[in-house]
Amino acid sequence: MSEQQHEDKNNSTLKIALNLAMACLISGCIIALTYFITADAAVAASIKLRDDTMKTMVEGSTGIKEIEGKEEWYEVYQGEELMGYIVPAATKGYGGTIELLVAVDPEGKIITYKILSSKETPGLGDNASKEGFTSQFTGKITEHLIVTKDPSDTEDIQAMSGATITSKAVTLGVKDAEVEVLAYLEGGE
Amino acid sequence: MRELWKIFKKGIISENPILVLALSLCPALAVTTTVQNALTMGLSVTFVLAANNTVVSLTRKWVNPKVRVPIYITSIATIVTVVELLLKAYAPALYSNLGIYLQLIVVFAIILARAEVFASKNKIIPSFVDGFGMGIGFTVAMVLIGTIREILGNGTFFGMQVLGDWYHPALIIILPPGAFILIGYLVGISKIINEKQDKKLKLQGEAK
Repeated sequence: MSEQQHEDKNNSTLKIALNLAMACLISGCIIALTYFITADAAVAASIKLRDDTMKTMVEGSTGIKEIEGKEEWYEVYQGEELMGYIVPAATKGYGGTIELLVAVDPEGKIITYKILSSKETPGLGDNASKEGFTSQFTGKITEHLIVTKDPSDTEDIQAMSGATITSKAVTLGVKDAEVEVLAYLEGGE
Repeated sequence: MRELWKIFKKGIISENPILVLALSLCPALAVTTTVQNALTMGLSVTFVLAANNTVVSLTRKWVNPKVRVPIYITSIATIVTVVELLLKAYAPALYSNLGIYLQLIVVFAIILARAEVFASKNKIIPSFVDGFGMGIGFTVAMVLIGTIREILGNGTFFGMQVLGDWYHPALIIILPPGAFILIGYLVGISKIINEKQDKKLKLQGEAK
């Protein structure tokens, strides 16, 4: 009888609740402590990663400056010389939104672009982030940012085989970004 | 030592998480389109599995059996979050590759299953070995599926072209239905192998 009571006591709702609460409290403390220690390093690391990404987009760049009044727009410098602009873009692809960073030179020509996140089909649409497709954009102006399926047409963007929707989406995203930069260049300075 | 080796080995062949236990099939479909992804996921899971088994085994005397499952999940979530925070701060490039997978690991059935079936009833070292072996078994299966899918579906292995231009990639293998078909065959093959192994053991037993 007394043993039965003892067991009941041990398994009372309060005891169980306390047991779970303790476990959560301990794990909460561990996470909080880790966060406290790593928070500064994490912020620094994410800024550095972003800057590194942008620097690899524009060859020879040494500095990056945020443009005032334009969220997430950046100017890229080599020493004192302005190399170009990097602006974010989003476009609707085959599997959802594709987020891009587009680098445009001061004359409004495309330097390159980089896909930040996408859900395109592996092996088809996700080839949009590969050299073979991206290199087509370098030096293009707005008029030639259209997708073609005619292999003899070297002026425009050649669609990726099996991924026409992605090709069109990326091209449109890049074009929109370029148009925005052009508008900024004309109206801004 | 022999015992530990046995515990380690069973996760790879006779109780392979994906091919025999059929747990965590979702990542086996979702992140095996390339060998690289499959390997990264496999290694992350191995780490979390071994760490969580250790923690669960360490705390098995204090955890009230009635709330053990929520506590295991809390423990898994804590380990994953801590790993995530550390990677974010000290290895941001790795983090940006792993980011989405890490969060997915929290809900993997295999981790909870090993905590419940093994770690909650065994000492620390065997629990660690069990988690590690299961993780390696998971990784091997993932890489196997990834290899077949990448070669047949894309003509590449680890991003390198292995099949020439003459090969037209079989798209279906890259898409989820292809993975289902492939996993079905692999489960069948591993079943045959395991049955043969059992027969052999039985015969040996009779001979003695």
